[in-house]
Amino acid sequence: MKTSKAILAIGLAFAGLAVQPATAQSLTVSNQGGQPGEVQRKTVFEPFTAETGIKINIDTFNQELARIRTQVETGNLVWDAISLNPINEAAGCEEGLLEKIDWSKYVDAKAFDAVGACGAPYLASPGTLVYDSDKLSGDAAPKSWADFWNVAKFPGKRALMYQPDQTVEIALMADGVAPSDVVKVLTGPGGLDRAFRKLAEIKPHVKWWKSGDESMQLLLTGEVSMGYGWLGRVNAANASNNRKLRIVWDAGYTNALIYFGVMKGSPRKDAAVRLIAYQLSAPAQARYMEQLGNPPANSDANALLSEARRAALPDPKARNGMMQAGPTYINFWLDNGDAIRQRFATFVAQ
Amino acid sequence: MAAATHIPATERAVLIGSRIFTTLVFIFLIAPIFVVVPLSLTAGQLLVFPLPGLSLQWYREFFTSPLWTGALANSVFVALVTTVAATTLGTTAALGLHGARFRFKPILVALLVTPIAVPVVIIAVSAFYFFASINLVGTYLGLILAHIALALPFVVITVSATLQSFDPNLPRAAASLGASPLRTLRTVTLPIIAPGVASGAVFAFVTSFDELVIALFLTSPQQRTLPRQIFSGVSENISPTITAAAVVLLIVSVLLMLVMEWLRARSQRLRNPLETA
Amino acid sequence: MSMAATSHEMAAAPVPRAASLAAQVGAAERRHLWRMLALLAPSVLFTAFFFVVPLALFMFRSVDNPEVSGYLPQTAAVMQAWSGKGEPDEAAFAALAADLRAIRDTPALGLIGRRLNYALPGFRGLLTKTARRLPAADDGATKAAFLAIDEKWRDPAIWGVLHQQSGRLTSFYLLTALDLEKSPEGEIRRVAPEQRIFIDLYGRTLTVSLGVTALCLLIGYPVAAVMSRAGPRAASWMLMLVLVPFWTSLLVRSTAWVILLQNEGLVNKSLIALGLIDQPLALIFNRAGVFIAMVHVLLPYAILPIYSVMKGISGNHLRAAASLGAPPLRVFRTVYLPLTLPGLAAGGTLVFVLSVGFYVTPALVGGPGDQMIGYFIAYFTNSAVNWGLASALGALLLLVVAAIYLALGKLVGFDRLRVR
Repeated sequence: MKTSKAILAIGLAFAGLAVQPATAQSLTVSNQGGQPGEVQRKTVFEPFTAETGIKINIDTFNQELARIRTQVETGNLVWDAISLNPINEAAGCEEGLLEKIDWSKYVDAKAFDAVGACGAPYLASPGTLVYDSDKLSGDAAPKSWADFWNVAKFPGKRALMYQPDQTVEIALMADGVAPSDVVKVLTGPGGLDRAFRKLAEIKPHVKWWKSGDESMQLLLTGEVSMGYGWLGRVNAANASNNRKLRIVWDAGYTNALIYFGVMKGSPRKDAAVRLIAYQLSAPAQARYMEQLGNPPANSDANALLSEARRAALPDPKARNGMMQAGPTYINFWLDNGDAIRQRFATFVAQ
Repeated sequence: MAAATHIPATERAVLIGSRIFTTLVFIFLIAPIFVVVPLSLTAGQLLVFPLPGLSLQWYREFFTSPLWTGALANSVFVALVTTVAATTLGTTAALGLHGARFRFKPILVALLVTPIAVPVVIIAVSAFYFFASINLVGTYLGLILAHIALALPFVVITVSATLQSFDPNLPRAAASLGASPLRTLRTVTLPIIAPGVASGAVFAFVTSFDELVIALFLTSPQQRTLPRQIFSGVSENISPTITAAAVVLLIVSVLLMLVMEWLRARSQRLRNPLETA
Repeated sequence: MSMAATSHEMAAAPVPRAASLAAQVGAAERRHLWRMLALLAPSVLFTAFFFVVPLALFMFRSVDNPEVSGYLPQTAAVMQAWSGKGEPDEAAFAALAADLRAIRDTPALGLIGRRLNYALPGFRGLLTKTARRLPAADDGATKAAFLAIDEKWRDPAIWGVLHQQSGRLTSFYLLTALDLEKSPEGEIRRVAPEQRIFIDLYGRTLTVSLGVTALCLLIGYPVAAVMSRAGPRAASWMLMLVLVPFWTSLLVRSTAWVILLQNEGLVNKSLIALGLIDQPLALIFNRAGVFIAMVHVLLPYAILPIYSVMKGISGNHLRAAASLGAPPLRVFRTVYLPLTLPGLAAGGTLVFVLSVGFYVTPALVGGPGDQMIGYFIAYFTNSAVNWGLASALGALLLLVVAAIYLALGKLVGFDRLRVR
């Protein structure tokens, strides 16, 4: 009968559906998405696939550690390799969510500032004060985070990240803390309260963004007059829209190494390690950073960059950055991160 | 409509006022939906008016980028499997409910229709926890099972409504003529309730095809559906391609709506052939 | 839905004389019933397994408390027996030390740390630090060793948490979802003001939902009235205009509003071009945006039930009242409104229940201060991994929805609670 055949066919189809389609020859990678993600696909993933035959599926996440925890703790691994900020690299490593990998076996560790116990850094990502120089110029342009906070003199909405890490650091800079002192003040007594008090001043004027793409969209569409944004996003937004978003380096900025790690228990660990090692190699780093404009994590890649790009790279040592690193800083976030995130969510929603 | 001739001025004012109001409400209902149509033709990179120029680039992107074509294919596939399964299950259930009378029937009815009443986010989160424990997160099967659970009540309700006006003497006549129950079902009952079943199927299809929240929780990139991809295009990977995708969704919705209304009119005609003279 | 059972009046009709015939009929009846139940079985089992079971497990998570008893079994046993008063003795420290040694190099340490951190921020760090520095073997002075690692181990709050969370079930998440907590002494009290969030959140969810419902009914009622009095051709056109948005993906509609209402959006640009405003109005990513988009999404759910009730009202009633000399307003108030009340109630219930659970639309068009309970359920599942709290919030939301359904559904009749 027709029906029984149809039922059989459906049954077979269902049986097939339960099987994960990802094979040994494909990897699922989760990165920051957006235009920088697109650059990463073109300059790193596609050449990698061409060289090894390993296909890359790309997913996007906004550093919600929860999504990693969920996959590892329930045993439903969707991702194999993931992009991580320094806090999540440390937390994920300590919680056993990431594979512990001795990266010195795969890369030349001397070329890197730091290699994590679980993740390997692939770029440095400064988070900065950005404005549209076509709309604001001269005296109307902000010079500091204090200006950013000064809505009377500089009207318009502000874009800030809907996450406490990086945002409370920025608030302290606006409150007059030098970038080099931010870690000390933040982790010291009353530092966090001071940051939240400062954030409360500007809260009514803030449009909070959740993804890097949103942060640029808000600036490009004129929804906000200035915002907090990452270097790679700003470069990409300027390049693809032919715009003149400008970074105020002198205001002070956060700076973080962004890592790649392997999900604990990934059945494709070897391929994932291979991809990450490939991504950290000097040629791949140079191709990637040439387009993105971020400082490469592999210092050997600097020599392979074009003259123009090298000149345009921010020099973290000469400039005014606050590095999101070091045991004091990382442990502060490991111990208090959940509580601060909850406080932040409450604070923003009130 | 023998109105409008001898009515006092105040009532006429009310009438005119309410018509103007209604027109404004319809503009409010319709206009925003069609705003995406011109925007999908923009030559620029941002979703703002005025358009810097016209271009089909976003449609090209939509129909050529593997991200979008894959999402479209996933959506169609998941919706079709959901439709077949939910329609089969729902129709048999409706027939069973219609044909039987027993004490616990109201409880079964309530059980079958409650998924409609529960906020989707709760269904999605529950499905997520449950499917995570049986390794179905990030599989087509998990997504489809959750979509069937969501679509099933619509089929049960729609087919039951059709069955209410179904003459119970017809299957009895067939049975008295010696037809087996299965044959009666196939040759008598099903053809008559077919429009209702088809309406239920359309409902099931749309329920799955437009569903976002469950897809947010249950899919990995391989099963990413069109609404999930649009959501990503609104929040994480912002691109005007979402407007092209929205126009495609819009066309599918309007077509299905027309099919639905046609089916409704048809089943009404079948029910009371005299009324629609 | 009333599924009026129709067939087999025969069974009800008494069959005189032939008792064997009655028995035959009875047997046929039973056979028929079994056949019908067999038809029902797949759907019922499917719904039970893929809807009821997941929902029940989800609800259970709001009281489930496997971590302490699972990962720190010896400590949990000691804590269960402990009075909760004063400082715990050497045995408690020794039990905790043994538990920590067993899990110190496993992911369990991170899990238990996170779980205890929900109840008391800082617990996670204390636990990992202690586990790391703990001597390998017991020397009878575990308490001193703990205090040497960190003086915090003297804090009654620490032990209060361990004591309270040592059971297999906990009221912790449900209390948290109501902005309540248990003091170390076991009294239930409100949390500190800066941590109060969820009561406000329920309040916000209910006020937004009520506002949206009121707007939908106020706007929908006259529209439905005009539709019901229009000619058949005009009515079917108007019906289409209601149905197109009804069938259009909610995602498409919410996105459209973002595009329309943003600072540089069509609405603001037109208003500026018309000279009505100088500065763009804040129409999106705030409460106004949430109202506009939600009313747009839900209006068809109000119009359609009201319309179907109005369509069924014969004009004779109204004409009769009018011919008796009643002024139009009075006809409306005493005749028309009561007759259309079931439609209003059905539309209102639908809109309210749907809006209480809204998640996607406020997420797209609202600011962080406009998010409703559905958003936080997703947030605690996806972004903050506090599944117990997500479940507790979900359980309370479900309770609200069920209460509305039962109260209004009884009043209106469940069969009216659908749109088309």
